[in-house]
Amino acid sequence: MFSLSSEAKVGLFVLVGLIILGYMSVQVGKQTLGLKKGYTLEVFFDNAAGLDRDASVQIAGVEVGRVESIQLQAGKALVRLRITPGVKLEHDAIAAIKTHGILGEKYVELHPGTRGAAFLGPGEQIFRTERQTDIDRMLNQLSLIADDVRGVTSSLNRVLAGQAGEEAITSILTNTKDLTRNLNHVIVSNEAALHAALENTRQLTGNLNRVVTQNDEKVGQVMDTLKSASVEMEKTFATLKEITGGINRGEGTLGQLVKDKGAAEKLNQTLASLQEVTQKINEGRGSIGKLVNDDETVRNLNEGLTGLNRYVNKAEQFRTFLSYRGEYLFDKSNAKSYLDLRIQPKEDKFYIVGVVSDPKGRRTTKDVTSLGVTTRTEEWDRDGLLFNAQIGKRYKDLVLRGGLLESTGGIGIDYLTLNDKLKLSFEAFGFGNDRRAHLKAGAEYRLFRHLYLSAGWDDFVSDQDNRSIYGGFAIRFEDDDLKYMLTTTPIPK
Amino acid sequence: MNRFSGALDRLGRAVLAAVEEMGKIILLFVSVLAWMFRPPFKLRNIFKQMEFVGVKSIFVVVLTGTFTGMVMALQGYHGFRMFSAESLVGGTVALGMTRELGPVLTSLMVTARAGSAMAAELGTMRVTEQIDALYVMAANPVKHLIVPRVIAGVLMVPLLTVVSDFTGILGGYFVGVHILGINSGIFIKNITRLVELNDIYNGLVKAACFGLILSLIGCYKGFNTYGGAEGVGRATTEAVVLASISILISDYFLTAIMF
Amino acid sequence: MIKLVDLHKSFGRQKVLDGLDLEIEKGKTTVIIGRSGGGKSVLLKHMIGLLRPEQGQILIDGTDITKLKDRALNEIRKKFGMLFQEAALFDSMTVAENVAFPLREHTTMKEKEIRETVADRLRSVGLTGVEEKMPSELSGGMRKRVGLARAIALRPQIVLFDEPTTGLDPVMTEAINRLIIDTQKNLNITCVVISHDVRSIFEIGHRIAMLYEGKIIENGTPEELKASRNPVIVQFLAGSIEGPIRIM
Ligand SMILES: Nc1ncnc2c1ncn2[C@@H]1O[C@H](COP(=O)(O)OP(=O)(O)OP(=O)(O)O)[C@@H](O)[C@H]1O
Ligand SMILES: [Mg+2]
Repeated sequence: MFSLSSEAKVGLFVLVGLIILGYMSVQVGKQTLGLKKGYTLEVFFDNAAGLDRDASVQIAGVEVGRVESIQLQAGKALVRLRITPGVKLEHDAIAAIKTHGILGEKYVELHPGTRGAAFLGPGEQIFRTERQTDIDRMLNQLSLIADDVRGVTSSLNRVLAGQAGEEAITSILTNTKDLTRNLNHVIVSNEAALHAALENTRQLTGNLNRVVTQNDEKVGQVMDTLKSASVEMEKTFATLKEITGGINRGEGTLGQLVKDKGAAEKLNQTLASLQEVTQKINEGRGSIGKLVNDDETVRNLNEGLTGLNRYVNKAEQFRTFLSYRGEYLFDKSNAKSYLDLRIQPKEDKFYIVGVVSDPKGRRTTKDVTSLGVTTRTEEWDRDGLLFNAQIGKRYKDLVLRGGLLESTGGIGIDYLTLNDKLKLSFEAFGFGNDRRAHLKAGAEYRLFRHLYLSAGWDDFVSDQDNRSIYGGFAIRFEDDDLKYMLTTTPIPK
Repeated sequence: MNRFSGALDRLGRAVLAAVEEMGKIILLFVSVLAWMFRPPFKLRNIFKQMEFVGVKSIFVVVLTGTFTGMVMALQGYHGFRMFSAESLVGGTVALGMTRELGPVLTSLMVTARAGSAMAAELGTMRVTEQIDALYVMAANPVKHLIVPRVIAGVLMVPLLTVVSDFTGILGGYFVGVHILGINSGIFIKNITRLVELNDIYNGLVKAACFGLILSLIGCYKGFNTYGGAEGVGRATTEAVVLASISILISDYFLTAIMF
Repeated sequence: MIKLVDLHKSFGRQKVLDGLDLEIEKGKTTVIIGRSGGGKSVLLKHMIGLLRPEQGQILIDGTDITKLKDRALNEIRKKFGMLFQEAALFDSMTVAENVAFPLREHTTMKEKEIRETVADRLRSVGLTGVEEKMPSELSGGMRKRVGLARAIALRPQIVLFDEPTTGLDPVMTEAINRLIIDTQKNLNITCVVISHDVRSIFEIGHRIAMLYEGKIIENGTPEELKASRNPVIVQFLAGSIEGPIRIM
């Protein structure tokens, strides 16, 4: 037999070992190797709790460096970042400490700053930082917001409750009522003209339409109509002008309102104070203002709520399952596949939607009458998918379900036993046409956590020689199993 | 009172014996160092020992590494699931393997396989006067017998640890990705994100220390065997026990120093 | 050549050598006899520095080896060859490698020379074609002869034989005795032989020393020993149960 000397064996082993070591080192060291060459930046955070050395530094979710050191300096956390060469940050860049998910680890998020500003050089400091979000802070903010809302409403209350305020409001309301009445009157008195204008417009569009569609040559007539329409419109405008002139001159109630100094003043004042409030809000003063104006707050709130939501969701009973079933029909020598999504809003209630691929395909029948004889042709659509849409309810060990089974109406009964490990089921569907219903009986046994084995008798009363013993397997995942992907990937900002 | 002082006496003796033994092992190490760099170098002997310690241990190391990684993934998964942090399984397996379990399990396996064999072999040589024969032929047994074994231990255990780390991570990957359904990209991403070059290299430094410890203790126990076949058996057992304990204890201190 | 002065050695409470004096003449064969377990092997190991006495001197060509450091002791040892009672072959090496070991250690011979020398030494102990066998594949007698070949591989000035013929058939015993006599004569070396075989003792020994109760009680030519009236020697040579040597 071919045999190696110990030197050769040892040499080979050393070689393989070094290759593996090299491979692992390259895989692991990729970022680190690139980073050694990068440059450092300094940031002072008020609070760097939870941030570790070598934590990730990211821009827009892309890692661009690592935290090199964290020190205490003048009561603040001096965090030194090592940034990959080639990544440039402007002087007004912003640094923030963020969290992956709600319980994940901390990392430093950078916003590069405005374009065109000078770049930060090695060793320089990022001056702008964002406070980090945490649940305490968020709740704190929420209570501040509530306080502000109360303040706003109470001050509004004060404005409205006073004697002068009441009078002003009453007169405003009276004037408004008059104003609308007059406007109404104007409109009513000019109704005929308006109506004509509208009628003309309608005719115009109708004719235009005809011109376009039928290439009518009655352009001249159209032009006439147009002309008369414009004349009418001119009249309408003239009337409108008259009305506004009247208002200007202080005729009518609306005119009086506008001319009446006292009332106008009150209105003005009210509007001014309203404006002040909104301006304050706009300028971001007060907590509510901050809340509205500060993107960070909004984001923080959103983040927090998303995170909380997820937690709450998890506790809920709402569950979804995804399953694949494959069944081999021994007598037919072909296989059926089922892909089902099962949504279970409550423990004892569920919906199933899914598709079935049946190599036999879907049967469609067509009656053709020719020469007084009706012939029925059957067609099998082999590529066609069949659909499942069922609603089900569970009573202890018994499950009743019904709906669309393989694209036909049907019902199913499942009996679960052995701690739900074994499921005996009976299905009946495909009623209502000229053939016997499709009956199916089978059992499914849970072998491992996600793997099931199944066997049974398909279409066993078939008059089409379609009956077959089947055997197969199913894979069933609860959506929860995949959920971590959502929970640990950073929340999109 | 008498019994008490007797116990105290025995305790004192045991401590003294342990200290004395440690001193002897350190002296042996010093003489190994002295002889290691004195030519001629018995390359054939070294390669033979490297084959024995290294190549022939690959199988057990691969086996233990793989299953350790697998079980870590499984356990880690159930733990992390409580915090919805299943994606950390990859990184945890990789960190655990490279920092601790790779070096420690490998050296324990090598202790059981090769450390015991060293003790048995040298012990047999001692009781059948082969070591005396070396002395008579003016050949230094430390140079001839112990140096190659220690070199093989120091070089091969780190290399086996690399294999163990790698197969452990593969095992963890298999369980994590193919059985527990963790996304493979995230699994690997977390490994490269959490594991540093230093984790791997410090693990290997540890492994080299363990290799030194196990080969030195195996040789020491074998070399100082007395009392025939029974003595060889005793030496072998003692070597495995002492080496294993020393590895675990020194692991703590090495970890404290390095990480 | 070798002079032992007032040697004392004990293992625990057991006193094995008790003020032993012995001089071994250069270029002669000295046979040491004594009862089993009497300390003959222990005595031999003292001569080569494997054991250190509690008291006394071991002078090799005038140098006291009891006080020597490793390195100097090794220089002395290079003059020696030794056959152990159980041969003490390296069982991780083939027969050829065993015999070649001292050659590789202490000479700069080429591989070819080594191979030839090994074959020659093996031939002289009556072995051929066993070069590639492992010691565990040999019989006890064959092992002993390989040990002998290894002991004389370097043609040392002094060879210590611990029972070279025990366990061999009469023909082979005779052949080994011849070998010892011839080597001793041809190379003019000093031999120390431990033996129980009375016939061999008188055949190869120039001098015979009797070790009894930790001391040399008689040291003389074979003729002197045969004529001795010492009851211990009379009993030992006659091999009788009656006498001062008790079997316990
Ligand atoms: N390393 C040792 N430790 C303890 N006792 C020893 C040791 N070596 C020898 N002895 C004891 O010393 C005594 C002498 O042993 P030795 O081997 O010299 O006997 P011997 O004369 O060679 O006997 P034999 O002819 O059977 O070989 C024995 O009683 C033995 O028990
Ligand atoms: Mg003896």
